[in-house]
Parts: sequence; C-alpha cells; structure tokens
Amino acid sequence: MNISGEINCFGLCLKLSDYAPFVAFLVVISIALLAASLMLKKPKQRLITFVSAQLASLLGIIATFYIMKCSYMLTLYLYLAYVVISTVLIFAVLRYYDRIMITRLDAKPAGSVMKWAQDFVDGLVSAKVYYFDSAVPRAFASGRSIFVSIGLLELLNNDELKAVLAHEAWHIRNNSGMPYLKQLALMTFSSSSESELEYRADRFAAEIAGNDALFSARNKVDKVFI
Amino acid sequence: MVKLDQINISNEGLTKFFSPIEASILRALWSDGEMTTSELTGKTNIPLTSVAGTLDRLVKAGYTTRRMENINGRVRYVYEPAFSEEEAATEITTKILDSLVDTFGPLARENFSKYSDKK
Repeated sequence: MNISGEINCFGLCLKLSDYAPFVAFLVVISIALLAASLMLKKPKQRLITFVSAQLASLLGIIATFYIMKCSYMLTLYLYLAYVVISTVLIFAVLRYYDRIMITRLDAKPAGSVMKWAQDFVDGLVSAKVYYFDSAVPRAFASGRSIFVSIGLLELLNNDELKAVLAHEAWHIRNNSGMPYLKQLALMTFSSSSESELEYRADRFAAEIAGNDALFSARNKVDKVFI
Repeated sequence: MVKLDQINISNEGLTKFFSPIEASILRALWSDGEMTTSELTGKTNIPLTSVAGTLDRLVKAGYTTRRMENINGRVRYVYEPAFSEEEAATEITTKILDSLVDTFGPLARENFSKYSDKK
C-alpha cells in the first residue's frame, strides 16, 4: 500500500469512528502547546509546554491505533517506533551523561587532592567534584557532577576556584536538567536563554565568592564557564 | 613520533618537523628538563591559552610526559620531555632516510655514501 492510500484509509477510519473528536482534540492541543513553547520566553515554561505537546501527540497516535480498522499502517508503526526509541535514548543518555563523561575523561574525585573544594560544594548543592587530565582551563557541570581540568586548578587561586565552583553549583541547583534544556533548546531553535542562565549563575557566584574573585577568574581564562 | 606528512623542509630549524609552539616547548624542555606550566609559559613567552592545548596534544602524541604534583592543597603539572634531543634527531633522521630509500632505492643509498665521503 502506498502512502496516499494509507492516508485515505486513515481519514476514512477516523470519519467512521466515534473517537474522531477525541483525536482531533488531541491534535489541536498538541499544536497549541507547540506554538506556546515557541512563543514563551522562560526556559522552564518552554520545556514544560514542549514536553506536554510531545505527550499530547503521542496520546493522539495511541488513540489513532485504537480506532484504526485498516491494516498495513506501516508508516505510522515506524514513526511510533522512532518516537519511542529516540525519546528513551535522549532521556537515558542525558540522565547518565555525567557517568559517560567520568569514563571518557578518566575523571577522578577532586576530594582526594583538594578536600576543601568538595567540602565547599557540599555546602551549596549535593554534587560531586571531579578533576580531569587537561592543561586547558575548563569547568562544566553535568548531571550531579562538576568537572574541572587540572589546568584550571593550577591556574586559579582558591578564591577564584570558589567562584567557578559556585557558578557550576548554581547550574546544578537550579537546573539539574541543564542537558535536557540544551537538547530542547536545540530542538526548539531557542538558544537565546543560555546567556541569561550564565548571567544568573555568575551573580550567584559573585554572592558566594565575591565579585573580585569572579572577575579575576573570568580574566584569567577566556572560556572557563560553559 | 614524527609524522612524515608534517615535515616541511622549507621551514627553519625544528619547525620543519613541529609547529612553532610545539618546537618552542620542546626546546625549553630539552634545555631545562622538568618544568611546570608557568615556567614553560615564562620561558617560551607564549600565553597559556596557546600553550595549554598544545601541551595536551604533545602529551597525547607521546612527545612529552607530565605528572600532577600536589603541594599544600595546590595542584600543578610538571612536564618532562619523553625523548632527549638526540633520540628525537635519530628518530627523525631515520624516518626521512627510510622514506628516501623507499622512493629512490639504490640511488638514495649511493647519494648517502657520497654525502658521508664528502664530510
């Protein structure tokens, strides 16, 4: 059966079914949610509406399956499989992304060499600090882990390092789903929210470690904060 | 150690075989032995932003080795050349001679002996 045949059959089945209004309702809802997620400014609202839109369309597909009398809806089967597999993959990979990073970077707990750093972060958020082997000064947060390179540790003094750790801790505390957000920002073509997040993380870092420490840390490395 | 496709005989000195930053770092390490990152940036006069990535590459490629030192809660890298200057020179010379023999066969060998006779 070709695609146009499938679509005709699909339309006919819908017309004959009692549940057609329900499916139509779900389609309208998911389109409205998707439009809202594109228009909303705040990343969190964007995220919620986008996920809801996905769920509504998924429900719509499931409902369609129930009312289908046609066989050979191969295209729909394939699409559903794609949706399920990609959703599982994206969420599973992002959930365990820090585990992957630990292995890939061969990162080690920073508590073993700089106990104060882990203690300092413990006071802010429940996260583990890791260091990894690279001379390039870098720091980033993923999942419930903060990664700093040895290059960063040797470049910054303790106050500056506190500013960096506080910045990353803010990301974890306020946005443990940062990778999800980034992924969704990619999917919804909205990368503009990132600079605001960085700005707020910086304000938090300045509160905790002082403006001077944050400023000098920023000065020492052009691209420390990711 | 040295990749032949990176050799550029029209360049000066070590930059025939290494990038300018790699060459400065290796020269510094060969003359001073063990060095910290700040000593390296001081000696080569190249900013850390340029040196850091190159150091990672040199370590990965096996030209230099480094270890992490932990003194009074501060950590730092200490770098060491993985090969002496003589070992590097031998390696580079052998590779180039091999490739010449590979390309020109007996003709290359003939020229080698002519060259050493001349000296």
